[in-house]
Amino acid sequence: MANIRELDKRRKSVRNIRKITRTMELIATARFKKAMDRAAAANDYTERITAIVRDLASAGLEVSHPLLAERPSVRSATVLMLTSNRGLCGGYNGSVIRSALGRRKELKELSGDFNFEISGKRGISAMKFRDVKIDETYTHFEDQPAFEEVAKIADRLMDDFISGRLDRLDVAYTKFISSSKQEAVVETLLPFSQPEVETDAATGDGGSTSRQNYEFLPSAASILEEVVPASFRVKLFKCFLDAAVSEQIARMVAMKSATENAGEIIKQLSMTFNRARQAKITGEIMEIIGGVEALEK
Amino acid sequence: MSELKCVVVTPEQTELDVTVQSVTLPMFDGEMGILKGHSPLVGRLGYGVLRIQANGGPSQYFIEGGFVQVAADVVSVLTDRLIPMSEVTQESANSALKAALEMPTDQPDVALAREKAIHRARAMIRVVSP
Repeated sequence: MANIRELDKRRKSVRNIRKITRTMELIATARFKKAMDRAAAANDYTERITAIVRDLASAGLEVSHPLLAERPSVRSATVLMLTSNRGLCGGYNGSVIRSALGRRKELKELSGDFNFEISGKRGISAMKFRDVKIDETYTHFEDQPAFEEVAKIADRLMDDFISGRLDRLDVAYTKFISSSKQEAVVETLLPFSQPEVETDAATGDGGSTSRQNYEFLPSAASILEEVVPASFRVKLFKCFLDAAVSEQIARMVAMKSATENAGEIIKQLSMTFNRARQAKITGEIMEIIGGVEALEK
Repeated sequence: MSELKCVVVTPEQTELDVTVQSVTLPMFDGEMGILKGHSPLVGRLGYGVLRIQANGGPSQYFIEGGFVQVAADVVSVLTDRLIPMSEVTQESANSALKAALEMPTDQPDVALAREKAIHRARAMIRVVSP
C-alpha cells in the first residue's frame, strides 16, 4: 500500500525537523548563557554610574541637564523598535511589534513629525508588509551588541534631542525581568528620567554609609554634564542587551516546545504506520488462505 | 588598614579588579596619582594613560575618558574603553589620526564624532611618542 510508504516518509521528515529544532534549542541555550553573562557584566558599570549620580545628588547639587528637560509640546517623536534578525523565536517579535505599533498610533496623534527606527530584519519586514514608513534601520545587532555601535545611535539621538529636532524618544523592546519572565515594553528614554535620584532620597534618609564629602574635579556641574549622557548611553545599551537575552530565551522556549511537538507527531505517526502495516499483513494472510481454500476445492 | 583597590569598568564588562599600591589617572587636565587613604573624590577623566603600580609590577592602559570615583580606598574608573598600552603603537595611533582627519567635515552630526576621534588619536600619539 502506498499509504504505508507515505506514512514512513512523513515520519522521517518529522524526525529530521526534530533534529533541527533540538539543535537550535541547544544553540539558543548556549547563546543565552553568553548573552546573560554579558548583561551581568554590564550591570557593574550601571551600578557605579548610579553611585556617582547619587553622590552628586547628595552633594546638594540640583540635577539639571538638557537631556532631562521635559518638553511642553511634542512636535517630533521617535520610536526605536528592537526586534531580532532571525525568526523561529515564538511570540518574541510579534509582541514587540504590537506594543510599538500601539505607541506609534498614540504618538502620531500627539505629534506632527514621527520617526520610526527599527533594529532587526524581522521588524523591518513586518513593517514593510504593513506598509509602515520606516526612517532608519539597523541589522547589525546580533546576540552580542557592541557598546560602540549602540553609543553611536545614542549620540545621534542625544544630539537631535538637545538641538530640538527631537522632543521624545520611545524604545520598544523586550525587557528581561527574570529567566522565566520577559515582557515587551515601550519605555520613554528621552526626556531622560533618573529614577536613581529619587531612590537615593529614600535610602539617604536611612543614614547610608556612602555619604561622604566628595571632592569634585573640576566641579560637580561639569561632571553632571558628562554623567547624564553616559548614563543615557548605558541605558540604551541595556535595552539592547535585554532584547538580546530575551530573544535567546524566547527561541529556546519555542524550540523546546517544537521538539516536544515533533516527538508527539512521531508517536502518532508511528502508531498509524504500525496499524496500517498490520492491516496489510492481515490482508495478505487472508488472501493466501483464500487462495489455498480455492485450490483445495 | 585595607589595601588600595582599583576597579576599571566599561559598559560591557569589568576589565580590571586588582589590589594596587598606587594608581595614576589621566584627568581631564593632567595626571593625578592616588595612594592609599586618599580623600573621597569624583572626577572627570580625559584621554590618556592609566598607570597602575601593583605588587606584580607596573601596568599601563590607554583609557578614553569617563569618570573616576575614589571612596574608601577603592578607585573606580568608569571608561568607554580600556586598551593595554602594548596594543597602542606609533603606527596604530598615526593611522587612527589619519582616519579621523579623513572623516567628512560637511555633515554636522559627523563633525562631533570627528572631533572626538581626532582628540583621541592625538592623545594616543602623545602617549606613544617618546
